[in-house]
Parts: sequence; C-alpha cells; structure tokens
Amino acid sequence: MNGWSGKILDIDLSTKTYKTYPLDMEMARMFIGGRGLGARLLWDLVGPGIDPLSPENVLIFTNGPLTGTGYQTSNRFSITTKSPLTGTVLDANSGGFWGMQFKKAGYDVMIVRGKSERPVWIEIKNEVITFHDASELWGMRVFALTEKLGQNNNKRNVLCIGPAGENLSRIAAIMNDRERAAARGGPGAVMGSKNLKAIVVEGKERTTINDPEKFKFLLYETRKLLAASPLTSQALPEFGTVVLMNIMNNIGALATRNHQQTQFEGAEAISGEELTEKYLVKNAACWACPIGCTRISKTEKVEAEGPEFESTWAFGAQCGIDDLPAIIEVNALCNDLGLDTISAGSTIACAMELSEKGYLDSDLRFGRADQLAPTVEAMAYRKDIGAELSDGSLRLATKYGHPELSMSAKGMEMPAYDPRGLQGQGLLYATSNRGGCHMRGNMIGLEVLGLPKLIDRFQVQGKSAFVILNQNSNAAIDSLVICKFTNMGVADEYFARVLGAVTGIQYATGELIKTGERVWNLERLYNNREGFTAKDDSLPPRLLTEAPTDGPSKGWVSQLEPMLKEYYRTRGWDQNGVPTLKKLADLGLANLVQE
Amino acid sequence: MPVVKLYANLRKLAGTKELSLAGQTVGMVVRGLVEQHPSIKDVVLEGSELRPHIIITLNGHNVTDLNISVSEQDVVAIFPPIAGG
Repeated sequence: MNGWSGKILDIDLSTKTYKTYPLDMEMARMFIGGRGLGARLLWDLVGPGIDPLSPENVLIFTNGPLTGTGYQTSNRFSITTKSPLTGTVLDANSGGFWGMQFKKAGYDVMIVRGKSERPVWIEIKNEVITFHDASELWGMRVFALTEKLGQNNNKRNVLCIGPAGENLSRIAAIMNDRERAAARGGPGAVMGSKNLKAIVVEGKERTTINDPEKFKFLLYETRKLLAASPLTSQALPEFGTVVLMNIMNNIGALATRNHQQTQFEGAEAISGEELTEKYLVKNAACWACPIGCTRISKTEKVEAEGPEFESTWAFGAQCGIDDLPAIIEVNALCNDLGLDTISAGSTIACAMELSEKGYLDSDLRFGRADQLAPTVEAMAYRKDIGAELSDGSLRLATKYGHPELSMSAKGMEMPAYDPRGLQGQGLLYATSNRGGCHMRGNMIGLEVLGLPKLIDRFQVQGKSAFVILNQNSNAAIDSLVICKFTNMGVADEYFARVLGAVTGIQYATGELIKTGERVWNLERLYNNREGFTAKDDSLPPRLLTEAPTDGPSKGWVSQLEPMLKEYYRTRGWDQNGVPTLKKLADLGLANLVQE
Repeated sequence: MPVVKLYANLRKLAGTKELSLAGQTVGMVVRGLVEQHPSIKDVVLEGSELRPHIIITLNGHNVTDLNISVSEQDVVAIFPPIAGG
C-alpha cells in the first residue's frame, strides 16, 4: 500500500484496551484522509443527540496519504469530533510535527472512545501502546507538560490539553508540539471529558510512495512554485499573517469592539509591520515547510510563538486594545492554558460590551489591556468572572438576556473580517459547517487581496458560486492534509498529481475538488441529522441590520438572505438547505440517507 | 496633494510610511512615487503596469483602473503582495 498506512488504531479509554484493523480503502479513496475521512467515520460513530462531553463522543485523529512523505507542508493532522461549543460536526487541524510523527507510528486514523476513570496519558511507539497514569500531570500547563513528556521535534512529539481542557471549557484547544493548536470548537474539552491528558508518539515507519521518481520531480517543481510566488516566498515569511491588520482596517472590514465598528484607530500599533520591527526574534517553520510563517516574538515577559493575525485581532481590535506586548503575552498564555485565542478574545469583547451596557456586573471595559491576562487565566480555571466566559460568547450573552451581542455563527465566534464590508465572507461564515470560521473557506483572497483575481466585495449576486468553490477547495486540502498557504503558490489540481504519484490512484481533473464537495455535503448531512436547519445559517443581527456610520463600508449590512437562496440552489440543495437526493447520488452519498 | 500610505516592505524600501504626492490620477501618483523612490519600482511595477498581487486602495476601496481620478483629500494606500489568515 502506498501513501496510506492502511491501519486504524481504535482505543477505548473506559477499558484501557485497543485494537487495530485495516482502513477501508474504498472509504479512503472517496474521502482521502484528514477532515474528510474524519467526517465519514464520525457519521458512523457518533449518532444524533449524543452529548459532546459524554463518553459516547469520540476523538478521531487523522492524517492523510501525503503526511510524512516530505511533500511541502505534509506535517498536518486533523481532529474530528462533535463540537461541545456548537453541537455541529467539528474538524480542527494543526501543524507542527506531531502529525508527521503519528503517521510514522504506522496509523492513518486513531479513534479514542469512552472515558478513563482516572487521568491517563497514552504513549504510542508504533505497535506498542501504553496507558500511563496521569494523576500527577493533571493540572499541569501545556509548556511544562510538553517538556516533561520529552518533546523532541523530529523524534518524539507531545499532544496535550491544558487546564482549560481539564475544566471542560467549551473553547478549549488541543495543543501539540508546545504551541501549535487544534483550537476551534472546543476539542480540548472533549479530551478533558475523557480524562485524557496527553498522547505522545514516536514512530519509525516510512510512508511508501508509488512513483518515487515522479514524486521527486513534483517536490522539485513545488519548491520552485513556492519560491516564485511573492506570497509564499516573501510576504508570509517576512511579516507573518498579522500583515493583514492594516489592509483590513484600511478597507473598513476590521471588526472592532465586538463588531460595533469596522475600523480600529489602534490598528497600526498591532500590525504585522509593528510586530516585525519591534518584537520579532526569528521565524520558525513546521516540518517540511519552506514557507516559515511562524513568528517567535519577545516582550519583557515572554518569548513565544505567534501571535497570528486572528489572535492579534481578537485580543486587539475586537477588545479595543492597541497594546501589542499585552497581546503577545496573552496569546502565549492561551497556548499554555490550552484555549482558542479567537473565541477567548471575542468572548472577552462580548463581556466588555455587556458590562459597558450594564447587562453584566463586571469591570471589564474596552481598551483595558491589563484585564486580558487575568480574564483568560480565570476562564481556563472557571474562576470568578472567568466561569461566566469559559463556554464562549453565545452562552454568556444568552445567560444575560442578550444573545444578539455574541458575534458568532452557529455559536462559534467569528474571526476578524467584518461581513458588512465583505459580502462573500458573510455568506461563508453563515454556511460554515463548524460555525463562524475563516478556515472552512476564505473569501479575503478574492474580495480584498486579488488572489487569484479581485472581485467586488460588495457584490451580492453571483457570490455564492465563489464561496462554494472556495469551501470545496478548502475541504479537499483539509482532507489531504496540507497547509492552505501552499495553495497560494500551487493550484488545487496540482495536488491531484501529487496524490496520484504517492498513492498510485489517479485522481482525474476536478475529482479532488469533487471530493471536497463530497466532504462538505457529508458535514451538512451530519448537522441536518443533529437538527440544524436553514435557520441556523445566519449571522448576528448587528451585521444584518446595523450599518457602519463611517469608513469605506459605511451604509452596508450583510445581504445574507438573497445570497443564501442562491447558495442553496447552486449547491443543489432544497430551499431548506438540505442536500437533494440527486446531489447526494452524484457524490456517492445517497446510501447514507437511505440506510 | 493626495496622501500616499505604504505598507509592509514598501516602508523599508521607501524609508517612510507616508508621503504626499502630486497627481491627478492614481497612476500618476504611483509613477510619482517610483520616481521619488526608485527602490520601490521593481516591486510595484512591471514596465508601466502594476505587478501581479500589488494592491492599491483609494480611500479604502480597491482600485483596478489606474486612470481613476484623485483629489487633494484622497488617501492612496499601496500594499505589496500580502497574505495571511
């Protein structure tokens, strides 16, 4: 077998037992790996109505056929589960080294079921699986734990939760390799609910390649393509992702103070340019990545990875804070506690607005950088005001009678891009299968950066086709599993050639994107089965009714309704947002609803 | 004169974040910029055309036509190829 290891590791924490069995290769061909394979397995393993924090939920770790081959950015892995934040299907993926090591251990998939009676950590050395008592590790933070369990980037890799996951915060991340995060949607809480503190992997197996000569040539060609692109060879390495801060502010699409404004007067102070000039120590890169967008930043108090654009925005513009050292420090604190930075920052912003308007009795106020770290700390431990914020903004705002002040879609906090100035991005948030997210698809390339071509960001008619293409493409890339930044220098269809060289299975032109469409529709089916309907494809009322009073997006609200109608039609779904039998048959999914 | 704002590595190349430049169209302003700061020219222009992925906004709106008029109070922002997420 080439590309895939062909093996699933299935662990039951309730009995501390495990078994291995062959990967269904027809399933692998249809869903590839990563997010796609995870969604297909979740469909069978976690039926409707299961409490995400109960032992009946599972964690599915998946890599892909390219993982560990050395193909550029083939380091990533996915974690699929039912989200405790949104109740939807959830896939969160992460880079670093752990995914590559997990593949070297000889598995495509690891399913973790049940719940251990006592805290436990798992050690995987190829076919040797050991359950260790984690009672003494329970309570440890991520950085110290990662070191204690012997993190060694190319040999032994640690994945774990911090206090936030232990305390079942619904915005808790699963961390790997110290500062990489599978963050969104609360997978850390699922791991915490199973009393599972860490998974450490060491592997010796090599992924076999069907056509090594062709693969070597594709590696060479990809290296040239990435080097030729100013995006992957200059922009990302030089300034990192935070370089987007100034342009989003410039065009009036930088959500500010819980989306009350669309421009932030302090944007320059928290920009990529400022980070690079004053706080950047050096760049870093994930395994097999020639791009190297990771920042190592330093303040008087910390030296740590990041912050990325979204984290900087969440604790910056969204909280009305222009203190970059405080943002660098709270970003590192989130990583150490195992919290999703986007949801944490946006939940604090929601609390700030609730407090300023007198709905919540707290001293949280926009612009107060000194409140960031103590609030995040309290969230991870569910202490004081943190207990109110620990499960995200929607639960907080609903408790205090103002759910409309949660800037979330399907209960997941949205990222930085304000949909009033970016119509396609709004449609994307509303239809995202895991909630308000920019990684299920991202229209910023098309609507702002001109990648690959600039389209009118205020245009409504015809936007759905671009959004759908983007979503399908992202689902395919997440199923490979590689970094989306690679796609800035290398076209989608090129990846089909790489997949063919590695696996020996030839994916025809368009088949890779159709795989993405299959994954998207399967995720939709999962959410439909959980009771989600067209009503859930929405945005906060503020974005639909309150137009900015100044700036380049002045006068605009999200025109979601007409875009949604067009979206359902273009997707081949009925007017209630349910995939039609014809569409499912075309994608090879009809059997799932006819069982 | 219209204000020109520079971002990312254009700042280092020009040695400034912001300057005022005369010009009746966006194209004239850009040409004025590269004349004043030749080190920017190869990053921004390919011959007389904009290089791919160069982003120019006029008062926060993307510009695709360099012949668009500018006035005294306008702000022209120029970004080199950037990406993120």
